[in-house]
Amino acid sequence: MSRRSWVRPLLAMGLVAVTAVVSACGTSGPGETSAGSLKIWALEDPVLNKIEQKSIDSFKANGGNASLETFGNDPYKQRLRVAMGSPQAPDLFFNWGGGNLKEYVDAGKVADLTSVLEENKAAKDAFIPSVLDGAKLDGKYYGVPMRGMQPVLLFFNKQVFKDAGVEPPTTWDQLLTLVDTFKAKNITPIALAGTQAWTELMWAEYVLDRFAGHEVFKNIRDNGPAGWKDPAVVAAMSKLKELIDRGGFGQSFASVGYDAGGASTLLAQGKAAMHLMGTWEYTNQLDQSPDFVKQGNLGWVAFPSIPGGKGDPSNLVGNVSNFYSATADSKNLDAAKKFVTTTLHEDSYIDALIEAGDVPPVVGAEEKLKKSPNPEYASFIYELVLDTKNFQLSWDQDLPADDATFMLTQLQEFFLGKVSPQQFVDAVAAR
Amino acid sequence: MKSRPNWPAGLFALVWLAIVVGPLLYLVTVSLRSRAEYLGKSAWEIPDALTLDNYVTVLTGNFGQYLLNNVIVTVATVAIVVLVTVPAAYAVVRNTSPFVQRGFTLLLMGLAIPAQATIIPVYLMITRMRLYDTLTAVILPTAAFALPVAMLVLVNSLRDVPRELYEAQAIDGAGPLRVLVSLVLPLARPAIMTVVVYTALNAWNGFLFPLVLTQSESSRVLTLGLWDYQGQFGTNVPALLAAVTLSVLPIFAVYLIGRRFLLSGLTAGFGK
Amino acid sequence: MSSQRPSAWYAVPAFAFFALFAALPMLLVIYLSFTAWDSLGTPRLNGGENWARLLDDAEARASVWRTLLLMVMSWLVQTPIALLVGVWAAGKQRSRAVLSSIFFLPLLLSTTAIALLWNALMEPNFGAFVGGPLFLGDPDIALYTVVLVISWQFIPFHTLLYQGAARAVPPSLYEAATIDGASRVSKFRHITLPQLRYTIVTSSVLMLVGSLTTFDTVLILTQGGPGTATRILPLHMYITGFKGFEMGYASAIAVVLVVLGTALSLAVMRWSGFRSMSSQQEGS
Repeated sequence: MSRRSWVRPLLAMGLVAVTAVVSACGTSGPGETSAGSLKIWALEDPVLNKIEQKSIDSFKANGGNASLETFGNDPYKQRLRVAMGSPQAPDLFFNWGGGNLKEYVDAGKVADLTSVLEENKAAKDAFIPSVLDGAKLDGKYYGVPMRGMQPVLLFFNKQVFKDAGVEPPTTWDQLLTLVDTFKAKNITPIALAGTQAWTELMWAEYVLDRFAGHEVFKNIRDNGPAGWKDPAVVAAMSKLKELIDRGGFGQSFASVGYDAGGASTLLAQGKAAMHLMGTWEYTNQLDQSPDFVKQGNLGWVAFPSIPGGKGDPSNLVGNVSNFYSATADSKNLDAAKKFVTTTLHEDSYIDALIEAGDVPPVVGAEEKLKKSPNPEYASFIYELVLDTKNFQLSWDQDLPADDATFMLTQLQEFFLGKVSPQQFVDAVAAR
Repeated sequence: MKSRPNWPAGLFALVWLAIVVGPLLYLVTVSLRSRAEYLGKSAWEIPDALTLDNYVTVLTGNFGQYLLNNVIVTVATVAIVVLVTVPAAYAVVRNTSPFVQRGFTLLLMGLAIPAQATIIPVYLMITRMRLYDTLTAVILPTAAFALPVAMLVLVNSLRDVPRELYEAQAIDGAGPLRVLVSLVLPLARPAIMTVVVYTALNAWNGFLFPLVLTQSESSRVLTLGLWDYQGQFGTNVPALLAAVTLSVLPIFAVYLIGRRFLLSGLTAGFGK
Repeated sequence: MSSQRPSAWYAVPAFAFFALFAALPMLLVIYLSFTAWDSLGTPRLNGGENWARLLDDAEARASVWRTLLLMVMSWLVQTPIALLVGVWAAGKQRSRAVLSSIFFLPLLLSTTAIALLWNALMEPNFGAFVGGPLFLGDPDIALYTVVLVISWQFIPFHTLLYQGAARAVPPSLYEAATIDGASRVSKFRHITLPQLRYTIVTSSVLMLVGSLTTFDTVLILTQGGPGTATRILPLHMYITGFKGFEMGYASAIAVVLVVLGTALSLAVMRWSGFRSMSSQQEGS
């Protein structure tokens, strides 16, 4: 009898063992959702996910069936892209609206929600129209707002301003003067988390908007990179360059991070006087430097106007809101439609958002916002959005991912003085 | 014949000692400071008080989960690598068929493939296999890329086994499996140990595969967890450094217990 | 007799595993480099478009240049230090043994841990060098700073190689030279260095291959910034692929990385004798 005959079975057993090791670890992966159950994907957020889960629970209580999966920021974008091209696509997915959503709409992946919103007037009319428009493409609605509004504000350290005997800026020229004032006092005028280009982008967005109006970027988004060649872009970037060269952001911004908390801490410690950031800065400060906020030293104003500029001073940039959109070929499309038109404007959902410190994008929330943990701040944001003529989504969300990534790199080079305003425009227009 | 002490070299060694130890001292001392001390005082000042709070912060968080994931990834990777390479190395040394020999040469070419360069297709394969965001997704490519060095080390060591020993076993009528168990395994023990340490270190410290192939907290390994702490802790750098210190402890323990094995695993296949 | 020898099946699991998760991706990356794939749908062949674009991509060229600079700089910094420390640590004195066990400590830290530690150390506002150079924030020195961090991490490894090799130098060589009245420097030049030739080659090639594929250190320290000051080739690939979702184009960059890596590793095989060993077995 050949001894080989028992070698093979043994080897096979070894292989089985290996496979067993491997598959035992595989069980932690996400399982398939049962048919008829809505698969909902959202961005990870320790506070808001609980509220979203509650809305799902109430949907279930009314006979529906759904489950929530959440992901961190970068993996979310990656995973969504992969999933949308596969049978693993979620039925409802979180997004930022605008160009970010447009890529999926253009690929025929997103369901048109216009008719269902028209049929459910109560749902449609509950939302602030300009916010609902954040997911409107070619006259059709592709998403329903599901989180708070997050415009970008100019935060400042009240104590530092008081010590210097100055007021927060309302115009660009005042801002420039303030830069000199704080520089003389050895305080970084503006904290900037330059390791993360999106913080620099906020400055470019506001300066271009104030200086030349919001149509310039709309044109870039709708008609392609050639739109960057509008002379207004070079002019606006030159204005921004003045601010950088004047030392507005200090010397070390290129190694300060936002996620790492550097920029926010500089503001809280009075080492920097101002900080341009999304509304989440408040929660962030409250978490990282609670005393600073509790002593009432965190101040905020809208971005200063640029006298003579074409843009309306009420214009905002930032995250208009976040949206749920439905996948076009979802087997549960009707349930998805039902979900977005019933749960997202419910009082309990809105109240929970407010309680969490969010400013929900619904009309007539003035009274409710008084119950916010930070009523003054929440009402300020709410009024700001109600009064705005245009609320521009962050450019990096509003452009296709490849163009956005390229633009962010160029912008970092621009802030470092490695490329001039003209070179910046030439580079991004040539994409 | 006792030579006089070499002063310039000694001085150089002391300077180098300072460069090596300085950052490590910074790591440990800052991890024992409070956040307020860290933000308010220069790193060079003596702190008013030391605290273990940062370690408590880290240990009450997800550190345990990350550590466990790291252990699972490491153990599974080592298990796969050892299970498949020991018989394969035996075959390479004792089986002259072109299939085995060509295969071995091809496998050695794998020494030339930078794992980074294959990350996109690996990502494609893993998502198509529906393994994305599982520990398996990390284990499979990590193990595959550990194979060439492991095979090299094992084959080198088995080649040193005198042919006569194999032949003596054959005369005794032992089949290949018995030879594997009673001859190859004992003789290759040091080499297997080296492979285990080398593979374990690689899996333990892996970054790119977990970065691209996993995302959720439940499948996060320690290296990514540390990176994630940077955002989570913000300017609570003492807590971040406490986490870094904790992450070093397991390997440090191994270093204390089996310094020789650890060092041989590090230089697997390259030290003479 | 053949039944006493292991059958080819013994090698199959290892080969199959390697083929599936290392060799197949290798082939796939070449295929993908000829496709357009935004990771939304399926890869679509687009001829040589990615390659034409790569030839024209100033950023890719710059990142190759940075990668080469990083390789050369890390070699220049690491080799002399590792060589000297290694030879010193090979001495039999008790003090040297104690100190060298401390020298190896950085080996115990993962790349992630080291990058995070140095990041904290060099933080411009709260780190250990407040008011000093900006290190990672200054585009002109950021790449050199990365070289320093990499060197701190890897010199211990190369020290270990040199220590082992230096211990293997026959003491009789030194004794003979001492009798001839050779100075310490002259012994180092005429005995130690030639004896370590083989190790110098191995260590150098490992350094070069290692710095070619540096990724985590840079991702954590600078994400390729400030601007593009430290965007080396692997990082350029990662950003293109996983931030810009241009997976096809990123694959073309990856192929360049493979070609560079293979060229270098063939050198490893050639110089360090792996090749002669494996071809010897082939029986030629």
